[in-house]
Amino acid sequence: MKEKIVLVGSPNVGKSVIFNALTGSYVTVSNYPGTTVDVSEGIGKFDNKNLLVIDTPGVNSLIPHSQDEEVTTDILLDKSIKTVVQVADSKNLKRTLLLTFQLIETGLPLILDLNMYDEAKEHGIDIDTKKLSQILGIEVVKTVAITKEGISQLKNAILKTTHKEWTKFKIEYNSIIEEAFVKINDELPPFLKNNRAVAVRLLSSEIEEEGIYKFIGEGTLVKIKEIKNSWQNKFSKSLEVIFLEEKTSIVEKIIDEVMNFSKPLGKVFQDSVGKLTLKPITGIFILLFVLFIMYKFVGQFAAGTMVDFFEEEVFGEYINPFFIKIFKEFIHYIFVQDFFVGEYGIITMALTYAFAIIFPIVTAFFLFFGFLEDSGYLPRLSALSDRVFKMIGLNGRAILPMILGLGCGTMAVLTGRILDTRKERILITLLLALCIPCSAQLGVIMGLLGSLSLNGLIIWLVVILTVLVVIGYIASKTIPGERSSFIQEIPPIRIPKINNILIKTFARLKWYIKEAVPLFILGTVILFVFDRIGLLLWIKKLLSPLVVGLLNLPVDTAEAFIIGFLRRDYGTAGLYILSKNGQLNNLQLLISLVVITLFVPCIAQFFVTIKERGLKITLSIAIFVFVIAFFIGGILNLFLSYLVSRGFLVI
Amino acid sequence: MEEKEIQEALSIIWELKEKKEVSKEKISSEILQKLQKDFLDDLVKKGYILLEEQKVRFTHSGEKIACDLIRRQRLAERLFSDVLEIKEEILSPFACEFEHILPKEVEESICTLLGHPRQCPHGSPIPEGDCCKKVEEVVKSIVVSLAKLKSNQEAKVVYILTGEHSQLHKLLSLGITPGSMIKVHQTYPSFIIQSGETQIALEKNIARNIYVKKLSDGEFHKTK
Repeated sequence: MKEKIVLVGSPNVGKSVIFNALTGSYVTVSNYPGTTVDVSEGIGKFDNKNLLVIDTPGVNSLIPHSQDEEVTTDILLDKSIKTVVQVADSKNLKRTLLLTFQLIETGLPLILDLNMYDEAKEHGIDIDTKKLSQILGIEVVKTVAITKEGISQLKNAILKTTHKEWTKFKIEYNSIIEEAFVKINDELPPFLKNNRAVAVRLLSSEIEEEGIYKFIGEGTLVKIKEIKNSWQNKFSKSLEVIFLEEKTSIVEKIIDEVMNFSKPLGKVFQDSVGKLTLKPITGIFILLFVLFIMYKFVGQFAAGTMVDFFEEEVFGEYINPFFIKIFKEFIHYIFVQDFFVGEYGIITMALTYAFAIIFPIVTAFFLFFGFLEDSGYLPRLSALSDRVFKMIGLNGRAILPMILGLGCGTMAVLTGRILDTRKERILITLLLALCIPCSAQLGVIMGLLGSLSLNGLIIWLVVILTVLVVIGYIASKTIPGERSSFIQEIPPIRIPKINNILIKTFARLKWYIKEAVPLFILGTVILFVFDRIGLLLWIKKLLSPLVVGLLNLPVDTAEAFIIGFLRRDYGTAGLYILSKNGQLNNLQLLISLVVITLFVPCIAQFFVTIKERGLKITLSIAIFVFVIAFFIGGILNLFLSYLVSRGFLVI
Repeated sequence: MEEKEIQEALSIIWELKEKKEVSKEKISSEILQKLQKDFLDDLVKKGYILLEEQKVRFTHSGEKIACDLIRRQRLAERLFSDVLEIKEEILSPFACEFEHILPKEVEESICTLLGHPRQCPHGSPIPEGDCCKKVEEVVKSIVVSLAKLKSNQEAKVVYILTGEHSQLHKLLSLGITPGSMIKVHQTYPSFIIQSGETQIALEKNIARNIYVKKLSDGEFHKTK
């Protein structure tokens, strides 16, 4: 059983970069999507010893107020941990030490890693680590994780710490509180005894929500609740505030002794850019600029050039013909042939589309997104857009899943976890399913809209945005629950380090191949089966009254929609083919583009939504989206065809 | 006759005097209505008022007491309505009690704090105090909600008022604790503040719940 090292720290301190540096393994190094509430493990080589390194979700306090914090805090109940490394942002010593104190209270051996030390220096901050180490009785190291500075010292420190020489530093609270500790300690089960961190947690948190109660029996629960209530009554402020205030005064004294602050060197350019991103007018310009770059890089370069290359050359000229030949020569069962290399074949359709089409687009998107993340731009965008999101019952943080949704909706649904309340998570999932087309689909849509006049593009955009706002508003009034308040830290604008972006992108692509691609293959198989058993035809017939009657579209369009569920991009491509064959006029093309954008998301996103929100909610969303898509399509059709027939509008 | 009742009666007389009402009859009936007893004779006995023909007049000592009372009452109203933003319905009965227990030193601090206001929230004049006469210009500090600050202003957090536990927690863990020094970077579209080396964006509702003391120029730069 390997010895465990646990990395703990606030969000945005470089914890995951340290994890990479210690284990050499690639893990997504950001605060947001999927990985945050999952714990990562890796093996680190320390001299000739192999240790298990565990990366935890970022926390601001060990009194948990969110799922992330609960995950980390519970991990720290394990007494067998060899060392806890607190990775910290050297610029923010006060916040850091508040967490350090809480960690010391857990009784686990601790090392303080003052990371991003280069930034602290730029801000004119100088910390006497020797003195700090003396005062706290623990090892304190300085690192700049991205350049690997200080990592070897960190590794040495980790090897050196043991349970035996644990620090004598203790945080003494006022006598009334200390009394409470004694009382609580009497009630605790053996494995939680003498753990001041646990006592603090029990006295501070809202008892009903606390996950730690899974470790404690019913009877004990009642007693502890009593103690908490009677002690709370002795004070006019909440106990959590008192703990924090007492810790803060000790922290401030220590900071006075160890930290020197001199006038910062000019970081004028970065600061000004930072400020500009937050002001409304310049902020919007910068946003438009960012969107433009995204369009050029992801849209034109990746979705256009790269995809053409992969689809036509690599797959078109080499891979597909090769496999088709092999199958035709060696396997004489037509069924099997078709299964792999037929119209809905696994190789010719699923893999081709997954790797030739989606992959380049998604890679470009992840690269671009990674750049935005590391530059510190995204939280600023949240701050700028907060008011807009309030109209639809969300707050600025929702911008993140929305932008991610433009890349890959499946990943965006996972990112919904950063929203605090259940209502917000349902809302964002709904809006992602309804209005946000993923990059694969978006690419084809843009191409098709390009063949229409500018009016077409404008109408499409306006309709989608209006649906977003209106449905968002209505949904926010109907779905029960709370909205959370917007409080967001704004990190400084940084120049992203290329290799960090690459590491992140690589990790995300790995996830994508593991999670999304199999579902694409599944979707293809389903299509294949449907086609074989005539189900496809049957569904087409079923939908045709809607498609033909309501939307005035040719019956084949139904096929594009159905396929769009299984493979969003292929569905849209189906429209392309119809249009090329002259089966859709401009108005019809516009209508079908609107409908397919609003239509249910792809199967991968569907499954992830079930996983995240549950079957009932997912089905409700799916039905709702289906209805709205056709409804809007129908209305739009009526409205536009009237305008076109009277010559008011040209599409 | 109790101290408090004397004070109330004298206040009533002052208020009526402001409205130019000095007739004994009117004053008498007001006091009767509000305090359920006619105190005029008692007040004369105590030497606070004089009855001249059918008019009521303050003696020197009576006037002083009444003046102080009114001043305290109206300062209290100003304090509650401007700084604490307590609604009228809750405010009045409370402010009335407040004036009876406010000691002189506290009254002067409040007056200075508020910048020597000349009128109460209803528009009635606030009698001048010693501090006003000395025209104390150094407004030492004033506690306001963060939402009222403008860009580039600096302040120190005095207390945080919020019912929602998790809001409080987020703020605390980001370093906004009572005693922290903060600077406002902008207020629109989101509130952006800086505390130490951390920049934080907040929605206005949260800023409303953070109460701060405005700082004069030198104080902020001792931050860490």
